[in-house]
Amino acid sequence: MEKKPLINPKTTSAIKDFVCVLPSLILIAIFTYYPICKLVQISFTDWNLLNDTWNYVGMKNWVWLFNGSGTKYLLNSLKVTILYSIGELTITLVGGLIFALIFNRMNGAFSIMRAIVFMPKYVAMSSAAVVFLWILNTDTGILNYLLGFFGVAPVAWLQNRHTALFAVLMVTGWRAIGYGMMIYLSAMIGISKDYYEAASLDGATAWQRFWKITIPMLSPTTLFLFVTTFLSSMKVFQSIDILTSGGPYRSTEVFVYKIYQYAMEDFRMDRASVIAIAFFVLLLVFTALTFKVSNNSVHYDS
Amino acid sequence: MSEAKTTTRLEREMAAKRKRKIIAAVQYTLAILVTLIVLFPLYWMISSSVKSQEEILLAVPTLWPHEIHLENYLSVFKRVNFGKYYYNTIVMTAGILISQIVTGVFAAYGFSKGKFKGQGVCFLFVLGALMIPIQVTFIPIYIMCANWGLNDTFLGLILPECISPYYIFMLRQTFMAIDDSYIDAAKVDGLGRIGVITKILTPMCKSTLFTTTLVTFTNGWNSYFWPKIIAKNEQRRVLTVGLAQLKNTFAGQATMNNHEIMAGAVMAILPVVVMFFMFQKYMLTGYSKAAMK
Repeated sequence: MEKKPLINPKTTSAIKDFVCVLPSLILIAIFTYYPICKLVQISFTDWNLLNDTWNYVGMKNWVWLFNGSGTKYLLNSLKVTILYSIGELTITLVGGLIFALIFNRMNGAFSIMRAIVFMPKYVAMSSAAVVFLWILNTDTGILNYLLGFFGVAPVAWLQNRHTALFAVLMVTGWRAIGYGMMIYLSAMIGISKDYYEAASLDGATAWQRFWKITIPMLSPTTLFLFVTTFLSSMKVFQSIDILTSGGPYRSTEVFVYKIYQYAMEDFRMDRASVIAIAFFVLLLVFTALTFKVSNNSVHYDS
Repeated sequence: MSEAKTTTRLEREMAAKRKRKIIAAVQYTLAILVTLIVLFPLYWMISSSVKSQEEILLAVPTLWPHEIHLENYLSVFKRVNFGKYYYNTIVMTAGILISQIVTGVFAAYGFSKGKFKGQGVCFLFVLGALMIPIQVTFIPIYIMCANWGLNDTFLGLILPECISPYYIFMLRQTFMAIDDSYIDAAKVDGLGRIGVITKILTPMCKSTLFTTTLVTFTNGWNSYFWPKIIAKNEQRRVLTVGLAQLKNTFAGQATMNNHEIMAGAVMAILPVVVMFFMFQKYMLTGYSKAAMK
């Protein structure tokens, strides 16, 4: 009589397959999902790292954030983060597209120039920031020195509340624009020449061809760039931390920086947690909105 | 009659040619101008890193260093523990890379070629993690790591980054494209799962694996947010954080020592920039592949 295996071989195979993904699932559970739950719990406590104990305080932190002394910081961070996002999106999408048109010529010289324009993406933000700290310096910076030739009085780029965010965007833009260009260029190469030839035969001008063919055909790329740039720009921290530390007068105090300050400088885990949750919900809502809107307006070439 | 027609056609062609030439000239001018502007901060960083202190303090900035002072680089090592920062960054990046590759390859296999109940749900579980950045969850993670005694340790630096949903997703897409018959054939030959992964799938997806790994490497090397939180002690400080603190280390005299800060900045980016020029083609495909998905 044939011996029956103790467990069905199909089950064994399924278990082995599951074991392959198990370590990842466990790690994701510990370092992503568990913290989110924990965050909600902390938001209902008065957890201060300087104290030994903590207690549940109900909605106190939520009231503080939405209807108390924390509200003005929330609104300020919201404003600054969105302004920053709009800035980085404009630079990456519009600037990237313009750069793509300028650098759209396939020869050796252009490919070297493209590499140079793309490279800042790989320069660590720390290095970029310390260089720009000097370039933008009011007294010793070379930008003000050069502007001096045009009769412009020295600008306190990073110390003036009206220019600080713009100055930070200069640094991030320097790193982002070449990336936008490269993504657009690689998509532009993929657009079939037939469309352009057909349009030319119909007498379409270069301007018309750009708006009627290039832009619609690039819409999936634009969506990709929009979503990824938007999400990463909402999470901006490093450039703010090194260049302005949220100042002057909170004019660059973005969400993540505010959360960081509460948690790591004031040790107010409770307050940091409520803001973190508010920030997370905001991210989710914006992402959902983006996908909803884009479903109707993105054109996919079959 | 016919003669007039030919001249106008010739004229039109000449005009078109002239127009093309003008466009080319404008394009070249703009491209060169833009390239020079984008290049300037990097040039400024490198050229200033070899200037003397007197030279960087001149009222009129010099475009080209008068003398080359390579000792600025040595002096950074002497004044702060730059060698230690380098070591920490290398160990951290290597740890993140290895753990992300190992967990990623196995998970991608399970999600693409494996069959088990709840596979779809598990994959959604992974994709959902893409939506939850560490900038949101760092508070509980920090408390957790502190409780485990992981402050200022390599394990603390690596652990929260040791898995990447993005990496799993990219590899899964690539593995999916490989025909099952290769795997079935290998299984007939008596190869187990680990054999299939290391001998069949990984070699067949070398280029995706490579480009995704390059992206992971750069992200690890340039990471700042988490290392700044978990490693406050100088003993485990990484390059990005150490560099940002140089201006505080030289407290109040940052502008006096910009030549040394620039030398530090150059050293911090050197490995990634060298790699960029070596693997330029792969670096772009790494991103544009993500764009296509």
